Amino acid sequence: MTQVATRSAAAPAVAGPAPRFKRGREAAVGWLFVAPFVVLLVAFLLLPMAYALKLSLYRSTLIEGEHFAFFENYTQAFNDPLVREGVVRVILFGLVQTPVMIGVALLAALLIDHATSRFSRFFRLAAFVPYAVPVVIGTLMWGFLYSKDTGPLSAVLHVDFLSSNVVLASLGNVVTWQWAGYNMIVLYAALQGLPREVYESARIDGAGPAQIAWRIKTPMISSAIVLATLFTILGTLQFFTEPLILQPLNPGSITAHYTPNVYAFNQAFSFQQYNYSAAISFLLGAVVFVGSYVFLFATRKRSAL
Amino acid sequence: MNVRNFSVRRSAAAVVAAVTALTLAACSGGSDAGADKTDGPVTVKVWAWYPSFQKVVDLYNSTHTDIKIEWTNAGAGQDEYTKLQTALKAGKGAPDVVMLEFQELPTYQLTKHLVDMGKYGANDLKSSYVDWAWKQVSQGDKVYAIPVDAGPMAMLYREDLFKQYGLTVPTTWDEYKAQAEKLKTASGGKAFMTDFGGNDGGFMTGLMWQAGSKPYTYDPSNPSTIGVSVNDAGAKQVATYWEGMVNSGLADTKAYGTTDFYNGLGSGKYVTYLAAGWGPGYLASVAKTTSGKWRAAPLPQWTAGANVQGDWGGSSFAVTDQAKNPEVATKVAMDIYGAKNTEAWKIGIDEAYLFPTATPVLESDAFLKKKYDFFGGQTVNDIFVPAYKQISPFAWSPFNSYNFNQLTTGINGAIEKKTSWTAALDTAQANIQQYATQQGFKVQ
Repeated sequence: MTQVATRSAAAPAVAGPAPRFKRGREAAVGWLFVAPFVVLLVAFLLLPMAYALKLSLYRSTLIEGEHFAFFENYTQAFNDPLVREGVVRVILFGLVQTPVMIGVALLAALLIDHATSRFSRFFRLAAFVPYAVPVVIGTLMWGFLYSKDTGPLSAVLHVDFLSSNVVLASLGNVVTWQWAGYNMIVLYAALQGLPREVYESARIDGAGPAQIAWRIKTPMISSAIVLATLFTILGTLQFFTEPLILQPLNPGSITAHYTPNVYAFNQAFSFQQYNYSAAISFLLGAVVFVGSYVFLFATRKRSAL
Repeated sequence: MNVRNFSVRRSAAAVVAAVTALTLAACSGGSDAGADKTDGPVTVKVWAWYPSFQKVVDLYNSTHTDIKIEWTNAGAGQDEYTKLQTALKAGKGAPDVVMLEFQELPTYQLTKHLVDMGKYGANDLKSSYVDWAWKQVSQGDKVYAIPVDAGPMAMLYREDLFKQYGLTVPTTWDEYKAQAEKLKTASGGKAFMTDFGGNDGGFMTGLMWQAGSKPYTYDPSNPSTIGVSVNDAGAKQVATYWEGMVNSGLADTKAYGTTDFYNGLGSGKYVTYLAAGWGPGYLASVAKTTSGKWRAAPLPQWTAGANVQGDWGGSSFAVTDQAKNPEVATKVAMDIYGAKNTEAWKIGIDEAYLFPTATPVLESDAFLKKKYDFFGGQTVNDIFVPAYKQISPFAWSPFNSYNFNQLTTGINGAIEKKTSWTAALDTAQANIQQYATQQGFKVQ
């Protein structure tokens, strides 16, 4: 809006054909500025997506070769019990994982925001370190910790962390460990941006630290919380790396169709079903898109996004 | 989960395929000048994951002035196949010569990505290989790969622990189970007779092969018809036997290749290891501390006095349709681990633990009479070589990744949920039939 206002205000000052010429040049310069982004967007997002969309509309069989199949792959995906199993699993996972993740991150952020000692700085860094460890390495490390015979955790707790009843929770633990610190920093940064006077007046009104944290700080950073929640939901729906890495440790509990993304990966790269894989991926993409839109719509008053 | 890549771009796994293809294509440019008629040696690109392969390549390059091997380790097994499939589909970026396991050959033959090496003289080698091994890589005069190593099976066991627990070396599977029961009592349930790797399709297939299972009837010269019977009597016999072993706590079920599995081999938790021909060297490298305590014995039999064997693993060199000069590539595939290349085989046997398929190498003193310190000086190849010669021909499907996946998913699921193993095979059978029909095969 401001841009339009400025431009319409500036326009009358220049007379004759000059404005049109200037505007053309302005547009060209503008395009030049966004060109790096546009090129990357087209080359690495739009073109591959278009290619994948095309793939998903074809069907290629070992014997009969490739033919146009309209939405046959999509129909198959809708009726595939393995896809359904994966979708149900990630939804269940998301329902538990998202509140846990955001709860942990929010609690940690509020604590280090309240404390100002040297310890809080150390804690902030320590909580953030897991995020700096590459996902693959972090997951492998947890794989060792979860090991039933050699891992230290089983020796104490007598639980097989990779058995089919427990493995989803074990994976959730890895994800929380990896990402809670990251979300904490997002929320902490938002807390740092709040005006301090509000706390002071709350304190004068008799609010304790807990009340300030819950009734003042938390509502004021709601847009950051919504953002972190959105990222977490998107991540859980596309759950991929952790199950893929831990799969060899117990393929009986982490199957080749454990999550929709793992399934799509295996369809393409283990079974050469590139077309079907593309269809599953597009379906998942649609679910993620709709899911995030619904979430943003439901929280629009709080998030201002 | 990866929050950084939250946008839709992550939604399409196929996007990765496209990007990988682009990258591979980009990588392949510029380095293929070798095939042109220049003065220097012809460059042949080889993908392989044999251990110590660098030495074999160095040896080859130092003894050849006209050909130069450019070696890439593109990952072991499925990792390499994933890259190969992508490169073949992209039509660019595949090597000239590629290492393929026997069970993968029909997959690549069907998609016509392998060169018939028979046209370039590969049939001259036929007499150097036993019948079943040559049949794994050829149909009639058409040769699609040169066999390198194989995996005849035997039972490796801890001699010291057998003594300690008062066990005798079993010769049949019934005896094997009886000894396992004795072991369970004697060790108070601490030791297992072995570990059953339900995650290893090759291992399970090897055992089923021995039991006479013929999961596929498939002739690559008539590629659109296939017979599927992964739940036949032989397969079910093996499944029932091991279901009993596992459920009575006689065999452990740690996935092969995991820390817990290695740990069990080294700690005495497992007193036998059902191994392939490459197993002795493999065991020596993963359970170093137990050196000198192991011995080898023939694989137990289903019928007393019989000598029926199966194979677990084995690999070959094939020439891809992207080879610039298929004739030179064939020559390389034939020579790297050629039957007369004793220097290369010395590296292959002593350092890469390969079990050679070429008869001259197999029967050489260097192999047959090689004493293994790890096995207390036993000449273990005495056990493996006769087993190798007893293996019967075996047909693989042209979709083995799916086949192994169904087998391992079924058995692993049955182990995990304590459900019937034979029912798991029935499910696999139904799934594979459906898959084959979808792929356009006439399923018999």
